[in-house]
Amino acid sequence: MTTKKTKWGALAAVGVLVIAFGWLIYGGLDSNVVYFLTPKELLAKGADGYDKPVRLGGQVKPGSVVWDDKALSLRFSVTDGTGEILVHAKGAPPQMFKDGQGVVVEGRYGKDGVFTSTNLMVKHSNEYKAPKQGERPAEMYKSLMKSAGT
Amino acid sequence: MNWKRASIAAATAAPVIGLFAWGLTRDPNNIPSPLPGRQAPAFALAVFSPGQGRLTRPVGDTVRLADLKGKVVVLNFWASWCLACRDEHAALSQMAATYEGKPVQFLGVLYNDVPDKGMAWISEMGGQSYPSVDDPGARVAIDYGLYGVPETFFLDANGRVAYKNTGPVTPGTVRLKVDSLMAAAQSAASVTPSATPSSAPSGAMAKDTSRPSAKAGSAK
Amino acid sequence: MTRLVASNAILVAAAVSALGALLTPIAIHKGRRDWLMLSYAAVYTNFVLVTLATLALVWGLVSHDFSISYVAQVGSRATPTFYTIISLWGALEGSIVFWAWVLGMYAAAVVWFNRHREGNLVPYAAATILMVALFFHILLIGPANPFQPVVPVPFDGPGPNPLLQNHILMAVHPPLLYLGYVGFSVPFAFAVGAMLAGEVANDDWIRLTRRWTLVAWGFLSAAIIAGMWWSYEVLGWGGYWAWDPVENASFIPWLTATAYLHSVMVQERRGMLKLWNLNLMVGTFVLTILGTFLTRSGIISSVHAFTQGTIGYFFLAFIAVVLLAALILVAGNSDKLGSEGRLDAPLSRETAFLVQNLFFTVFMFTVLIGTLFPLVAEAVRGVKVSVGTPFFNRMSVPLMVALLFLMGVGPALPWKKAAGAELKGRVLPGVVVGVLLGVAALLGGARNGYAVLAYVFAGFALGVNAAEFVRGANARVKAHGELWVTALMRLVSANRRRYGGYVAHIGVVLVALGVASSATFKTEQEATLKPGETLTVAGRTVRFKNAWGREEKQRQVIGATMELMSGSRVVGIIEPRMNYYPTQQQPVPTPEVRSMLSGDLYLNLMAFKQDGSNITVKVIWEPLVPWIWFGGLVVCLGAIIGIWPSRERQASRSGSANAAAPPMTEGRA
Repeated sequence: MTTKKTKWGALAAVGVLVIAFGWLIYGGLDSNVVYFLTPKELLAKGADGYDKPVRLGGQVKPGSVVWDDKALSLRFSVTDGTGEILVHAKGAPPQMFKDGQGVVVEGRYGKDGVFTSTNLMVKHSNEYKAPKQGERPAEMYKSLMKSAGT
Repeated sequence: MNWKRASIAAATAAPVIGLFAWGLTRDPNNIPSPLPGRQAPAFALAVFSPGQGRLTRPVGDTVRLADLKGKVVVLNFWASWCLACRDEHAALSQMAATYEGKPVQFLGVLYNDVPDKGMAWISEMGGQSYPSVDDPGARVAIDYGLYGVPETFFLDANGRVAYKNTGPVTPGTVRLKVDSLMAAAQSAASVTPSATPSSAPSGAMAKDTSRPSAKAGSAK
Repeated sequence: MTRLVASNAILVAAAVSALGALLTPIAIHKGRRDWLMLSYAAVYTNFVLVTLATLALVWGLVSHDFSISYVAQVGSRATPTFYTIISLWGALEGSIVFWAWVLGMYAAAVVWFNRHREGNLVPYAAATILMVALFFHILLIGPANPFQPVVPVPFDGPGPNPLLQNHILMAVHPPLLYLGYVGFSVPFAFAVGAMLAGEVANDDWIRLTRRWTLVAWGFLSAAIIAGMWWSYEVLGWGGYWAWDPVENASFIPWLTATAYLHSVMVQERRGMLKLWNLNLMVGTFVLTILGTFLTRSGIISSVHAFTQGTIGYFFLAFIAVVLLAALILVAGNSDKLGSEGRLDAPLSRETAFLVQNLFFTVFMFTVLIGTLFPLVAEAVRGVKVSVGTPFFNRMSVPLMVALLFLMGVGPALPWKKAAGAELKGRVLPGVVVGVLLGVAALLGGARNGYAVLAYVFAGFALGVNAAEFVRGANARVKAHGELWVTALMRLVSANRRRYGGYVAHIGVVLVALGVASSATFKTEQEATLKPGETLTVAGRTVRFKNAWGREEKQRQVIGATMELMSGSRVVGIIEPRMNYYPTQQQPVPTPEVRSMLSGDLYLNLMAFKQDGSNITVKVIWEPLVPWIWFGGLVVCLGAIIGIWPSRERQASRSGSANAAAPPMTEGRA
């Protein structure tokens, strides 16, 4: 008799724990999941898109990059061909960052219409790349290579 | 053995395995494109590689998307420095030759590269049966929301993007997409000669479900 | 030639494994125990053949034999020999070869040590492990074949992935990880063997594999720490843990294995939790395979993931078989695994272990769900999401803090029932250290509640665990009149598992202090500097001297010479660099770290002008980060103490009737 009672008691306790755990996980996921969106999709969300963690994917719009190396402030527009969003990032741009480059920007879209980036990643479909003429570091950074003196 | 418990336990494994099986058909690195189902961005680009046989377009000729209306268009973005492009080259070149004389236009678009390098690559690969155009400044690539190369867009006879493939294409994919787009164009033409764009294939077709090939990954 | 030797060795090894595994049930069914020797021989033969294949592949790499597909894929003549050898595990195919070799080694060792044992447990365990080996051989024959011919033979190859040849830790982390991962096949095989042999009700499978479990756990712990260190030294973002799926894949089985190491003691002492322990051990193995599947099939997006073609389907089939077989066996045998004892009091070591197990299990599910959620979300709702660090931090920080507390409570509590007065004496040192550390953290400027609690509980655990050594040694000094140091040595060697555990606890405290400090007090700044300009971070000043470039055999290097200043004096040179590999679009950041007892000064070169007139550098002050690596060493030391065979017990055994029992199968403590 007692064993049966304790068994049900244990089952109930486990049930309560599982529900509590599930609720915690759900709450945690609900507020911390990062959606992957393109500029168009983010713009389509309207007011719902503000101030939520988002990964914004698209291309750097040519001619939109403004880099201030003293203030370490980087501004550019991300476009997917249909929509366009202004991004503001702190810190030096990655070496591969350039016009037309595919990028993924992690951050939040503010009410002021500027996407504040916390993490800027350059997309490259394929890691292998034969260096082009004039793109080898030894040619690009001639003065530096000479300065090594060895 | 308590077979009752054993079978209950075994049943719990099914959804997990099912989820993984489904997951294997997806590419997590694939980025959804807003383009499928929409009108393809227009372009006018100059041919730098003429192609072969009856598919030839003279070098310097301007290819306009608007002029290709009524044809299914296979738009393949590639570059000479792209390793995965080598994998798909033979498939595309052969498929283009197979569809010779049909209302299908294969077109290569050179991405972030120079025509000289592109020509050298084509001759190294043993030729390209269809013409390729140069995209200076990657303007068209940006319009198409390109993330990298290779990416291939399949446009229907009305100039809509029906399908986008990220990574190298296989002959099977090309055949499936082109055949269904041609069939849709024909049936639309036979039922209502003044076909409305709404008859363009969409739904299941307008999905982006490609995976990079084994080779593309192993190049790391 | 080399290629043919290797690929044929794998083919034969597959056949031998399959035959050996099939022979076992037939031999047992027919009552032909002499046949079992043949299946044991299959285990040894498999090991010899896989060793041959592995050596052949290493030889192929070293001799630049580009007719072998794997060598053509990862080799290059410019790569230094050392990195050429370790590129054995630099890409998928080679890592599977290495995996198969480690598995073969474990299998041969475990069979050798237990070859004289009567009964059907060891034969079934050997058959199970051979089945696992067969799966890896099939991978090597099919989708991950490193020995394919390459025609025409290229003159040179692209070389290994630059990220993997940029740092020495790459020589350490993967083998440790495989030794850990694969090591859990041994207890799993014995658990399955026990269930097949109908011996699961007695604890033999646990006793025979106790050391093996600890070995695997020690390697996995070391691998996780080494992986953190690698990511810290190579990736250039100044952090060591990002909750990336690949990191999680190694952490998830570590959580269940750690839970098992504790709860198994409850089974040994009190005969409770039998079914639970069986679940934990089988689960740990399934999770190692799941982790490999997640990272190798490209099913989940990750910075590190290998994207591959068909290998995912093979893994899926294997997981399905393992999961189904495990669930059916465990559930089918659950009737036999009733509890012998009961919980006597809420305040006892059993209860502490029980709560600890609950937390570890919750932790495991949290990380697992967070890792798999993007897949579920896409399957169910069709949206692309990623689960970032905020989720994992929010869920795991409270758990980690609570576990630190339990790490102090457990050792202070006796089995069965705690007596008030004794408990007070054992807890007091912990309370003192805990309060001291908490106050220090508050004075240092920590304002986050969890951070302060982490310091308090870390101090508490440190105090309690350290006091156990002092208490035990003092008691020996009193009883035997030994020197204190002698008493301490004998205390530990007489009860290695227990005190090894306490040493590991102290190591975890050091890791926790490093993690809490770097998370709370880390300061970083990024600036663009001209030559002669300085940047001060957390009271430490660096001055930019000049930028330079250098050509090396396999790469080109751009670097910045930074002078570490003390007043106007230069006390050190730090040179963060960027390495350009010819086959990589992006340069590989190569931060330089200056380590001190109080922390690391971490410099990373972010950008530079082409003429070297200015650079952008990130300077991070990372307090107590070296303690994490040192703490990891202490954890491993604890594991080694626990694994080391005890001299006293060996001596006592040689006189006992059980003389045939090999050293790895010692009796109950």
